[in-house]
Amino acid sequence: MPTRPPSPEQQKEITVLCVRTAVLLMQFSAESVLVESVSRRLGLALGVDTVEVALTANGITISTLCGAHAETAVRRNVDRGINMRTVTDVQRIMLDAEEGRLDIAGVTARLDNLTQERYNRWIVAVMIGLSCACFARLAGADLPACGITFAASFVAMTVRHQLAHLHFNPLVNFFIAAFVATSIAAQGLIHELTDKPRVAMAASVLLLVPGFPLINSVADMVKGYVNTGIARGAMAALLCAASCGGILLAMTVWNAWAWIQ
Amino acid sequence: MTTNLLLGLLNDMALAAVPAVGFALVFNVPREALKYCALGGALGHGLRWLLINAGGMRIEWATLIAASVVSLVGVYWARRLRAHPKVFTVAAMIPMVPGVSAFTTLLALAEIERTGLTDALLAQAFEHGLRTLFIIAGLSVGLAMPGLLFYRRKPLV
Repeated sequence: MPTRPPSPEQQKEITVLCVRTAVLLMQFSAESVLVESVSRRLGLALGVDTVEVALTANGITISTLCGAHAETAVRRNVDRGINMRTVTDVQRIMLDAEEGRLDIAGVTARLDNLTQERYNRWIVAVMIGLSCACFARLAGADLPACGITFAASFVAMTVRHQLAHLHFNPLVNFFIAAFVATSIAAQGLIHELTDKPRVAMAASVLLLVPGFPLINSVADMVKGYVNTGIARGAMAALLCAASCGGILLAMTVWNAWAWIQ
Repeated sequence: MTTNLLLGLLNDMALAAVPAVGFALVFNVPREALKYCALGGALGHGLRWLLINAGGMRIEWATLIAASVVSLVGVYWARRLRAHPKVFTVAAMIPMVPGVSAFTTLLALAEIERTGLTDALLAQAFEHGLRTLFIIAGLSVGLAMPGLLFYRRKPLV
């Protein structure tokens, strides 16, 4: 803990650090209450008197107060997907600052050195294929249906990775991935490869369910952050709708209406 | 009877652990937390299976209880990990997310537009839609339970 109150220049730096942590957490899908508490605790740990945080879906405003001197910073916020490693790293930086092991320069250096390294995409795709096959098995699929599900969701996941890499809008991405997954799974119905083609078709698109935004959305609203909750819920609903569009198109193309009797 | 129940439970827990880890990789959960995703996924889905099949409970309430238990255990793990419990508990909830119901709702609505309104389609849309909402609410409120009940004014980690 710093013993002397920060100078106006230091307060400016602290404010920038607070808003940087808040933007990082918000961009990578931390829930709103965590975003607010981490940036507030960081500011207090670095020596300002109060930190006020205003969150919206597209921007973050933070104001710090030190005696009579106020500093405010506004940053734009764009959704950059889900990355729990960054959320963990940022929270640990805050905890280290709180325990007095990091000062302003230390926090700045740690934030500058954050990497957004991800797991190998082929490992992820295989695991997602296995995950959807397990979902199919839980729903009572036989072995061929599980195999079809694995193939469909593995290919859909690689498509999703590739389209995300090319910076396509997530809605376009989910639409195409759902089309690919359903097209492959529909072959089980067309060529009668399995007794449970419907289960395969249903399970193969489960990699596209926006479970994280849905849970975050309700959690935000329960904890009083209604506006970010609505924004996240609306995005999740749109992603669901885009996936459904892809499924519908694939069912029309292959004339395989297995979902609805 | 008891052996059947035990085998069914183990089968269910093993099948739920895989998607929990699979989606944890997509969410880029840190490597040291992946084991908690697997354990949490198996614990949550297994407990829900047990409450439904042995306890005769409805899926919405069973989901709420299972999510609450995982999130309470998650607070303990989170302290050891120095990370917020949501980092791994959300991935553990993924096997319980009603994905098929969510898609069935929207597809039934699209089918109403395509072939005209029938009671069966309307019922399908409403029933699946409501089930989706209730289960998602159960998951989120269950995950928030430690904060709502025990850590009301203090941070979890």
